[in-house]
Amino acid sequence: MNDWETTSGVVRLNLLLFTVGGVCFAVDAEQVDGMSGYQTGESGNLLWFHELLGFGYRDVTYREPAVLAIKTVESGSCRVIIDNMEDIAEYSVSDIVPLPALLEPFAVRNGIWGVLKRDSVLTLLVDFHRIANLPDILLRITKECIP
Amino acid sequence: MASEHATTLKSEKVLESIKQAQRSKEIVDVDQDMVKIVIFESCGACYGFYGADIKEIIQQSQISWVPGLPEYLPGLINVRGDIESVVDLHHFLGGDAATDEKPVIAMVVRDDFRSGVLVDAIVDVLDILVSEIKPPLATLQGAARELVCGEFQYGDKPVTLLDSEKLASKIRI
Repeated sequence: MNDWETTSGVVRLNLLLFTVGGVCFAVDAEQVDGMSGYQTGESGNLLWFHELLGFGYRDVTYREPAVLAIKTVESGSCRVIIDNMEDIAEYSVSDIVPLPALLEPFAVRNGIWGVLKRDSVLTLLVDFHRIANLPDILLRITKECIP
Repeated sequence: MASEHATTLKSEKVLESIKQAQRSKEIVDVDQDMVKIVIFESCGACYGFYGADIKEIIQQSQISWVPGLPEYLPGLINVRGDIESVVDLHHFLGGDAATDEKPVIAMVVRDDFRSGVLVDAIVDVLDILVSEIKPPLATLQGAARELVCGEFQYGDKPVTLLDSEKLASKIRI
């Protein structure tokens, strides 16, 4: 039995919900080591969430930024700045649907692997371990941090 | 009385001519295949999809943007609990990206291709004779050329018939 399965067979995920640039996201709380407030001007292995996910030309304003410490598979941990932390809550896997086949190849590169349906709100599920260029980004910011 | 029966009544003649006309029409209907077409506007021109490929027209749907997608995929829509992708046809027809916040979306389903397709407006849904569809002009220019499978007249307007299979093959990676 996986650790996200209950003895009754109901599969549930503990999700951390937040909003960046008006888009709702959720990440498995197991990938998060900790959370702290963001101090203006703070630096050191910090990644802005919208840069990590390829928001492109869209302007993103952070109103209530917070820093998530993320466990990464190979590189220890990294810190990602998110916005509008909403909730940490348990959801059934039955509330999650896969991405449409047409979008999936593009979205998965950015770590987006599914959609959580909450009433009429579509929340994009992000797996930091599936962001294709995360190792390159981590390598870059690590080099930038070395004086 | 006998003379009345000997000559055919005018009403019989009229009735027979009507029946004859109906039989002729039935023969035409049998011989000429009809096809349903959904006509829509995009980038200021009229286009069509085969009706068999359009499962639904969705009005005023909110598109949820997804980061990292190419420009021709504006995002997701929620269709009664089913999450569907959306394709912006403007990208393939040579226009600017669609900007309507709650646009009209045609749900296109053909073989393993399934997606909403953003259009400016639905013009009509009608049955036409297959023979009315002409091959696309060899001189047809522009981005739409690779998607076209025929042309026909709708009143005084030309309608360019798009092939959803060709659209699908351009989008798949």
